[in-house]
Order: sequence, then structure tokens, then C-alpha cells
Amino acid sequence: MKAAPFEYVRAGSIGEACEVLQREGDAVKVVAGGQSLIPMMAMRLVRPGWLLDINEIAALKFVAMDKDAVRIGACTRQSTVERDQELAARVPLLRQALAWVGHIQTRNRGTIGGSIVHADPCAELPLVARVLGARMVLRSTAAARTVEADAFFSGPMMTATDANECLEEVQWPAWGERRTGSAFTEISNRHGDFAMVSAAAQLSLGDDGRCVRAAFGLGGMGQTPLAFPQLAQRLVGTRLEDEIVKSVAHDAAAQSDPGSDLFATAAYRRHLAGVLAARVISAAHAQAGSKG
Amino acid sequence: MTTQFRYIGKHRRTKEDPRFVTGRGRYAADIALPGTKHVALVASPHPSARIVSISTDAALAAPGVLTVLTGDEFCARTDPLYVGVDAPKVTRYALARGVVRYAGEWVAAVVADTRALAEDAAELVEVEYESLPFVIDPEAALAPGTHLIHPDHGTNVLYRRKFVWGPVEEAFAKADHQLAFRATWGRSSTVPIETFGVTARWDPVAELLDVWASIQMPKYPDQTARALRLPGNAVRVHFDVDVGGSYGVKRGIKHTVLVGYLAKKLGVPVRLIEDRLENMRGGDMHGPDRFFDMQVAFDRDGTIRGMKMRAVDDVGAYAGRSPLQLGKPVGAICGPYQIHAIEYEPTSVMTNKTPQEAVRGFGQSPTNFAIERAMDRVARQLGMDRIELRRKNLIRRDQFPYLIPSGSSYDSGDYHTVLDKALEASGYPALVRMRDEARLAGRLAGIGVATCLEPSGGNASFELLFNPKNETTTWMDSCLVRVDLSGSITGVMGTSSSGQGHETLVSTVVGEILERDPATIRVIHADSLNALPSNSPVGSRMAIMLGGAAAGAARKIRDALVAIAAHNFECSPEDLEYRDGNVGIKGAPSKMLSWDQLVEIAHRKFHKMPPGLDPGLQAQFVWEVPTGGGVPTQDGRVQMYPCYAFEAHVVYVEIDPDTGKPSIRKYVCGHDCGVMISPDIVHGMTYGGIAHGIGASLYEKFAYTEDGQLASGTFMDYLIPSSMEVPDIHIVDHCTPSPLTTFGQKGSGEAGYLGAPAAIANAINDALDPLGASIDTLPMSHLALWETITKATKM
Repeated sequence: MKAAPFEYVRAGSIGEACEVLQREGDAVKVVAGGQSLIPMMAMRLVRPGWLLDINEIAALKFVAMDKDAVRIGACTRQSTVERDQELAARVPLLRQALAWVGHIQTRNRGTIGGSIVHADPCAELPLVARVLGARMVLRSTAAARTVEADAFFSGPMMTATDANECLEEVQWPAWGERRTGSAFTEISNRHGDFAMVSAAAQLSLGDDGRCVRAAFGLGGMGQTPLAFPQLAQRLVGTRLEDEIVKSVAHDAAAQSDPGSDLFATAAYRRHLAGVLAARVISAAHAQAGSKG
Repeated sequence: MTTQFRYIGKHRRTKEDPRFVTGRGRYAADIALPGTKHVALVASPHPSARIVSISTDAALAAPGVLTVLTGDEFCARTDPLYVGVDAPKVTRYALARGVVRYAGEWVAAVVADTRALAEDAAELVEVEYESLPFVIDPEAALAPGTHLIHPDHGTNVLYRRKFVWGPVEEAFAKADHQLAFRATWGRSSTVPIETFGVTARWDPVAELLDVWASIQMPKYPDQTARALRLPGNAVRVHFDVDVGGSYGVKRGIKHTVLVGYLAKKLGVPVRLIEDRLENMRGGDMHGPDRFFDMQVAFDRDGTIRGMKMRAVDDVGAYAGRSPLQLGKPVGAICGPYQIHAIEYEPTSVMTNKTPQEAVRGFGQSPTNFAIERAMDRVARQLGMDRIELRRKNLIRRDQFPYLIPSGSSYDSGDYHTVLDKALEASGYPALVRMRDEARLAGRLAGIGVATCLEPSGGNASFELLFNPKNETTTWMDSCLVRVDLSGSITGVMGTSSSGQGHETLVSTVVGEILERDPATIRVIHADSLNALPSNSPVGSRMAIMLGGAAAGAARKIRDALVAIAAHNFECSPEDLEYRDGNVGIKGAPSKMLSWDQLVEIAHRKFHKMPPGLDPGLQAQFVWEVPTGGGVPTQDGRVQMYPCYAFEAHVVYVEIDPDTGKPSIRKYVCGHDCGVMISPDIVHGMTYGGIAHGIGASLYEKFAYTEDGQLASGTFMDYLIPSSMEVPDIHIVDHCTPSPLTTFGQKGSGEAGYLGAPAAIANAINDALDPLGASIDTLPMSHLALWETITKATKM
């Protein structure tokens, strides 16, 4: 388990990183926390010509509160984000999801951007990005562009990032509604394993207790994390009674086309998806309701 | 009982912990000899294939490469590895020759300046294969006309025999009831953090091969020398290498012969440290993979009259000692119960999977699982309480020594009391209420109970039983105790340790006998050329065997000191009193020779030595396994291990009915291994054993795909429980001393693991009981539980 030979470069700035990407293109893999990439390299499943280390780029490590969103630098450690109290208040779903990402030890190294760009369809942060509609800022030597989550995740371990681009920051929408609740859960064999199925939901209640805004999604159920905006819309205007929650959750599961592996058949995944989607919607509802 | 001891049974700092906790362990990977070269392996991607050709040219031309070794050269110049049963045509070498028999089997070894360069070059070795038929399922492997793993052997069966002990057919004919079921134990293992590693160096002048390895293996130096066609004294194994986990699997004999050959051929030190992928796939360390066809005959009052057990074990593509893992359970084939008639049909079968190696308990934990599932099924069929059924059939404490039908005598025990203590510690009535309330609330909740034995004091009786050509009737162990001129004590043991705390064991025992503080006693590991005859720390034997040997040697020292004093006081030894290492005349405190004075006489003052006593102060003791030395009768009865520890597990689980996810909410283990020399070490072993059992029952499996590939070859797929899955564990001690051992101690190296899978399976089944569902296949994965629940609720 030694990586195949590669060139290593440590970038001191975003500009420097972009220059390497511009020059070497597809041959480059960017390493930040390395919690997924390095084992894959050690098993020679990934063989980059160049390993571009962005850990020293201070400009990629920040948490900034904007009016409608929280911006997080790509190389910000997951544990830093997890411990940020203000962020937890603004984007609670992100904090809830982070508790499920690997273990404390891996979160001390793993980064927000690394998990997003790795784009594992079972991973927690890509699911939250899909559910909340996060925006990814991609930088190249020439320009920067912003890509919405639904366009960003294009397949298993595949994103809209071009070979000459580096993820610079992720913008997580913060909901302004006072009575907002969120929930994240997943089923894995052991805590910290890749989820067989994960589910995330965030919703807001009006003063009358009716749902005024809703979003939810499922991980591990397809080629990318899935969000269900149309089904979520069915929740809006309701009092989130059990029947409607179960019906929406069931439809979300039915619309998905999961695969089978050693630990979960497609039938099991679809069943779990219905159970977990209902659980997170109900839990988010309860949390929002507690802010009466 | 323990109060009569000064050091034994006390909570004292272990000898080893300071070294390990401060990162000063010295493991195989810490052996860094100047000029060492590194091995990487080329593994077969096919489960079964003919090797058409191997081209090494590109690999040899790669940077830093010294050589590329293939099976043709290696197998011609070394001898095949030891086979535990009479199957001489099932030849096994470190490198495949002509055919490969499992995916991951080593085909070539590349030696280079660094491991990374060796891996680069290994990718350049071109092997052309021609696929052959393969068989992965053990029942398919038993079917006539199936693909033969070793055609020269003529069958895929390595060993099969039907033992009948007692009036089995009569018991089945007369019993009120019978039941039959299959219990299946999944292919799991002990998977240590440290993979196997070995460094070898050949000295051409001394003609000596030095070996440093992460090893836990009986006869390892001898087997290494034989395979390399060297005299036994041309291999020196350094037993002072720390071993980062084993519980059976650290055998590494094929690795060692390969590295030894390369070191000799190349004239440089050569090292092979398996990476995780090699370890899981080609390290030959998978554990039992076994199903049991069980039949039980019993009366309506719950008396078990007879049992029939057919055990089919899939050992993979080659045999080492693995078939013998069906033999060890013969020594406790009826568990802790009075069952007078037993039929046992062990069948060892080969398939195109990674070979099996010894795992904690050497086949006993799967057997205990099958027996304990049978007990619960009997209770369920009778509508009888599971605990009452056990109480009715458990051997009573007034029945020891108790001879079981297969020929072993159990030394001692108080099973009813240990079970009662475990139940009490679990708050059993409250636990039942908790379960029943959970059920009323719509949850799946269950309590599991298992009462199991840990045979200990390992001898080799199953080798004779399973192989008439093998006449091994001794499995001795030894210790040398030396007191130097300064009066310091050193104990010398003759094997490696793989985490069992032998330094603590020897120092405690020697300190106890000599009445000297164990903290001042040093314990070292001799190398194999220096070592007294010893086997290794397997079969839960060292507390008994090394503990007994160390005590025996210390007693000789003590006797010598008393003899010196008697000579100088011109009195009889009976008139003397030994206290704290000093020897004085009884009733005359001023008449005393101190430890220092006695030691000085022994080392310097020959004129004060009694005649016949050697100068210097050292003693050795070689101990044979108590009750050992017997040979099997015609019908296969033999005394196996001497001592029998007992454990009673009480477990509470809940299963999420919507997802199949189990969670263990309470875990109590009542445990009796006689006198505990170091309770902290015993408890540590037991905690770990239970965690291991949780893995075997719920998580861990070396799964194979239909096309013969290992599907769980990393820790992403081979699921070892973490601290998040292992609950708080409460251990309740009890002490029934063994009459056969020095201090009344029994073994405990397999504690917890021998009963945990059975208890958890029983708890899960109790939880499923209201649905009318059951599951008897391990591991009980989330998926398997969900499918079981779904099937039951849809019916």
C-alpha cells in the first residue's frame, strides 16, 4: 500500500494552486485533509501525476457570515466548522451532519471542500449541499464561477469542476425564518462508516404551525446525493401530519434507484430511505415546533 | 482464596504497560537492520487458474530491484509447509507453482531497495493465467464431481470422521422430543492492528539465519528450518519482538520461509511487512468458516439426552493446522452440560478461498455458539425458561472432576453460582421488565443468556486424534530463573508474547514464591537457540504452563537458599523459616542469613556452599501439561486440555424494527477462571474477547463474491466493532481453583469471546421471538436482521 510515483507541490496561495492546475490539468489531484484521497492512492486506485497540497493556503480557511449565507473556505477543517457556534445557529443542518462524518480524528484533518469535491454519493456534506442548495465557487487562473449544488454533483465521485479549477469556497444558504428546524440521520453498520442511506431535512413553520418552507434529501440512493424539491413542496401548507410525511418519504424512496452492495440490497436501501426521510422530516418539524 | 497470596490476584501495574503506553514497544517494523531490502508480492487475481507464463523482465529492469522470485525456483529449493492432518499431497508453499488456488495467493516476490519500489516493480511482473473452475461454497465443494482444489489429494475433504461417544441412538429413540437445525458461523478472524511482519538476515560465515518476526506460533523455528532445509540450530528466532495483536493468527510461516530464502539467496537482510490488503487477502489468517447441523434429543422436563453435531468447516485452499480447529472442541463437546451421548462428525473441506489459521479459542467459540443456540431452541420448544433449562443440565459443583463422553475430565467449576452471580449483577428481574415494556411499546427487545466453557492449558491431543501418524504427546513449557550477584532476579521465557502480559505473569509468580517484589524482577525472552523447550502462548495455556514453570524454577531457587542456610547454621532445613528472601532459624530471629548474604555465598563463597549444590544461583523448570500425555482410544476418546474456565453471559439488546439495526444496551459476564494471577490482565482479555465476539456475531465477515473474490479486504468492508458499538461491559468474578495447577489458576486468553457470540445470538433471537422469527447465521448484519424481520411480518 504505497502510492504509485507522483510529483508533489505545495501551493502557498490560491493563485499558485491555480497555476499548477492550469499547467498540469487532469494529472493533478488536490490534497487537503487527505482522508479519502490518500488511502485511495495507497491502494493505487488513484494515481495522480501531481499531488497539489493546499494545506498551507491561509486564504482557503475561513468561516464568514453573510446576510443570507455562510461562506466557508474550501480548506477549512470539518472540526473547525463543527465547533463554530454562530454557524451552528445559522446553518444547523451542517453541524448536525458533521457529527456523522467519519470520526473526531478524521474531522480534525478532513476539510469541508475536500468532502464536497470528493462527491461520494453516500457522504454527508454533499447531501446537505444538495438539500440546502449550496453554491460552490470554483477558481481558475482566468476567473471564478459559482455552480449550484444540483449542477455541481454530476455522478459518483464526479463534479462540474474543470481540470483547471480549484474549489475556493462553499456558500451555505442560511434560512431567515425564525421557526426553522432541521435534522440529519443515517444508517451505517458502524458509527462513522459510509452510510447505507442518509437523510437530511430542513423546514420552517409559520405562526399557525403550518409548514412554510421545506427541503429534504437522501444520500446513498443514487449516483449523487438527491434532493426532492417537488416532494418537499407538498409539505408546504400542511401541518406535517404523519400521513403526509410518510407519503412524501415513501414517494422519495420510490423515485430513487439505489444500487446493491455487500451490506445493503436495493430493496433494503429503498425501505431505509422511506423510514429515514420520514424520521428527519418529523424530527425537523419537532425542532421547529419547539421554537414556538 | 486469593487473600493467601502476597502478589497474585492483586491489582498491580503490569510490567508491559509502561513500555506500550509510552510508545516504546519494539515491533517487527521497528527492526531496521542496515542494508535491509524489502519484499512486495504479486498476487493472483483469479480464484483458480493455471499459470501459463511469468515474465519478470520489466520488473527486473525497474529501479532498485534486486530480484524477482517465482514459485518454480522457490518450490524446488524449499520443502512444503507442515500439514496438520494426514494429507501429504496437499502441498503448500509461500509461492504458487503451476496453479493458483485462491484470489490473493502469492505468485511472485519482488525484492527492492524500498517497499515502494518493490510495489512499483510488482506491477510490472506479467503473469499469464488460464482460468480454471473454482468452488467457493463448502457444500458444493463436498459434492461429487466438483472441481478439486488439490487433484492429487483426490478429494476436497481434508478430514472427516464420525465419532460416537455413548448410547446416542438409544438416547434419541427414548427421548420425548427431538429438534434439528443448522447454525452457521461466518468467516471472520482476529484481525490485529499490526499485520504480519518478518525480517531475516543470513550470516554466511556462521551459517545462521536470524529471524525477527511478529510471531505467535508453536514450533515456528523448527518449521522454518525444515522448510529451508537447514539444521534446527541454523535458525535463530528472536522472541523479544513485541507483537501488535494476534490471538492465534500470527503464524506467518510461509512469509518467514520466503523471506529466509531470499535473505540467504541475496546475502542481505530482507524484510516483508504485509500491508493490509496482503494481510486480509493473502496473509492466510481467516478464521473458522463453519456450519453445524445440530440434532438434540430431550425429555419434556428439559433433560438433554443426546446431541448429534455435524460440523463442516471450510478451511480454504490449503491446510496448515486449520483442520485441527475442529478437533479442539472435542475436549468440551457437551459444553458445561451433562449430556451423556454425543455424535460428532467433523468435516474439514477445502475451497478456493484464503486459507484458514488459528483463531482465539481454536474452533471452540463456533461450537459453543451451536450448543447454546440448541439450548435456547430446546427451551423454546418446551416452553421452558432458558435459565431453568440450563440450571437443570449444568454439571453440578459436586460432580467434579467430571468425565465427559469424549474422554476429557473437567477439573473444577461452580457453574450454577457463576450463572446466578451474572444474573444478579444484570438485575435480571428488572431487565425482564425492561424488555417486556419495550415490547409493549412496539420495540424488538431481547435478553440473551449463554453459559460456556474455555478449555485451557493447551496440549496437542487433537493432533493425535485427527492424525494417527502424529505422536505428539507433550506440549511442555519452561522457565529459567536466575539470581545475579547483586541479588536481582531475572526470569527467562522461551517464546514470544503477543499481548498476554507474560512478563507480569512470570514476575508475579516468581515474586510470590521468592517473596520478592515483582516490580524488581526483570523478565526477558530468550532467542530460540537459547530457549528452554517451550511451545507458545496458544490454547489459553500460559497462566497454567509458564506460570507453573516459573513457579517451579523459583521453588528450586528457594530450596537452594534454604539449603545454603541449613549448611551454614548446621541445622536441618525443617528448622528454618524463609521470609522475604531471608532464611532464619525458627524462633530465633537473630539467627538469620539475609537474601544478600545467601546470594553472595552462592556466587562467591564456595567454601560455604553445601556439597552437591552448584555455585551460582539459577534454576530451570520444564513442565508438561497437567493430565497430558495420553493417546486416544480406538473410539476417539482422549483427555484434551486440563483446565476448564466458565463464563455466563447476560445480554440485553434492542433491534430497530424499521431498520434492523441492533444495539446492545447491557452486557454482563460472570467469569470463573480459578485464581487470577493478574486480575487486570484477565479483565482486559475478557473485555477484548467480548468486543471480538460482538464483531463475530454482528459485523465481521470475510465475504466472497460469486466470482470468487474477497469482497471485504479492507477495514471499510471488514467491520471491526469500535468503541461506538461496544457497550459498557460488567464482569463479575468468581473463583473455583483448579486442583491441577500451581496456584489454582486456569487459562483466560479466550475469555469473553467463547460465549459472546452465543449470548448475542440468543438475545437477538429472543428479540425476534414475538415475531415468530429466528436467525442462526452469523454475522447477523443489519441487512440480515431486516430481511428476517420483513419476512416474518409479511407472513
